[in-house]
Amino acid sequence: MCNWCMKHGAGGKWYLNARNYSYELAEAMNLQAYLEEQWKNFEQVYIRKIMGVSSIGLGYKLRMPIIGRVIRRAVEGMIHSESKNRNPVRADGHFGQVIPIEEAKLIMLNLAAEPIIQNYCMCRLMQKGIKDVCCINFGVLSTVIEKLPRFIPENTKVRLSRDEAAAALEEQNRKGRVATVWFQPVPYICAICSCETPQCGGLRLRMDFGLHTVYKAEYYAEVNPDLCQGCKTCVASCQFGAIRFSPTLKRVLIDPTKCFGCGLCRDRCPHDAIRLLPRDENPLLRGKY
Amino acid sequence: MVKTKIVIDYSKCGNATGGIDPRQCGKCLQVCDPAVFIRHMAFNVKEDNPYDPQYWQITPVWLSLCTHCGKCVKACPQKAITVSF
Ligand code: SF4
Ligand code: SF4
Ligand code: SF4
Ligand code: SF4
Ligand code: SF4
Repeated sequence: MCNWCMKHGAGGKWYLNARNYSYELAEAMNLQAYLEEQWKNFEQVYIRKIMGVSSIGLGYKLRMPIIGRVIRRAVEGMIHSESKNRNPVRADGHFGQVIPIEEAKLIMLNLAAEPIIQNYCMCRLMQKGIKDVCCINFGVLSTVIEKLPRFIPENTKVRLSRDEAAAALEEQNRKGRVATVWFQPVPYICAICSCETPQCGGLRLRMDFGLHTVYKAEYYAEVNPDLCQGCKTCVASCQFGAIRFSPTLKRVLIDPTKCFGCGLCRDRCPHDAIRLLPRDENPLLRGKY
Repeated sequence: MVKTKIVIDYSKCGNATGGIDPRQCGKCLQVCDPAVFIRHMAFNVKEDNPYDPQYWQITPVWLSLCTHCGKCVKACPQKAITVSF
């Protein structure tokens, strides 16, 4: 369990705590107005100057001596902000974690607040120009997004039942997308995404710049050398470059320090050779999210 | 540190500045493998409404990830993009 489970998990994982999905919490945090402000100009989040610095050329800015470290600390602070005067237009307090498909489905079936909607993945829309019905949003965020036509799919059902939402996530998993659950803003949970690098903004900031917009899952993958047939199916499923085929061993090797614990390799393996193990139980990986 | 510079000629692309509406094109977004560009609403087109959803433009955001493949320059029908150091 991570820091956020300690703070918002009520003794368990943060994303399995029913309170974080509740309308009481959304109301106490006055989130309708906050999310409206955040979403109506969502695409501007990377362009906007925050304390004089925008994301344009962020990679270079972070490499500057001293200033780079100051910027990194400021951005991490914003991403994880729990302060009362959070700023919606810079997406303060908005971050997530990778989860395996079974937990994504469990959230849809039991925890997500209705109404549940599916809408265009805004990352793919703003960075690839591709309209892909993919993101599952729920609770107060649903009604906020429903008012913004550019995110609303045409000729497709927008509101989903719990079963339909779980099936939609399963379908995304089959396509090879990584399930992620999001605080927006912390500790309120209102989205499960099915992400793909490099156009996912969250994974981009994590993978390319080391910022903790997305945490690794509570799990990591391990391959059973006796069961692996060396078919390499799993290699193509990993978005994090954590799996490699060894010609000498005629099987795959998984680098647990690179693994994000999404479970896609396990889901694709035709020989049941991969399993997910709890991150907490490995002394090297414990606490490394 | 060598830095990549990508310039968009907003008189050619960006419908608040006399160019085309990038929502009708988006070729640069599609061809760029590292997804360097973002298509977004323009800022402060009308002072009273900074979020006017009519006006859009392209900004090259993730400059440090550009591989100088030149695909965006070739694909842009408006010849609006230059990539240099
Ligand atoms: S976080 Fe993932 S699924 Fe959600 S909008 Fe971004 S890429 Fe799409
Ligand atoms: S998919 Fe399964 S059997 Fe095939 S290489 Fe990967 S672990 Fe081995
Ligand atoms: S090794 Fe498997 S579980 Fe780990 S990140 Fe890659 S696909 Fe996901
Ligand atoms: S040169 Fe290639 S990598 Fe660079 S922005 Fe253009 S398409 Fe993308
Ligand atoms: S390819 Fe050129 S014209 Fe088309 S959206 Fe990109 S910059 Fe604009």
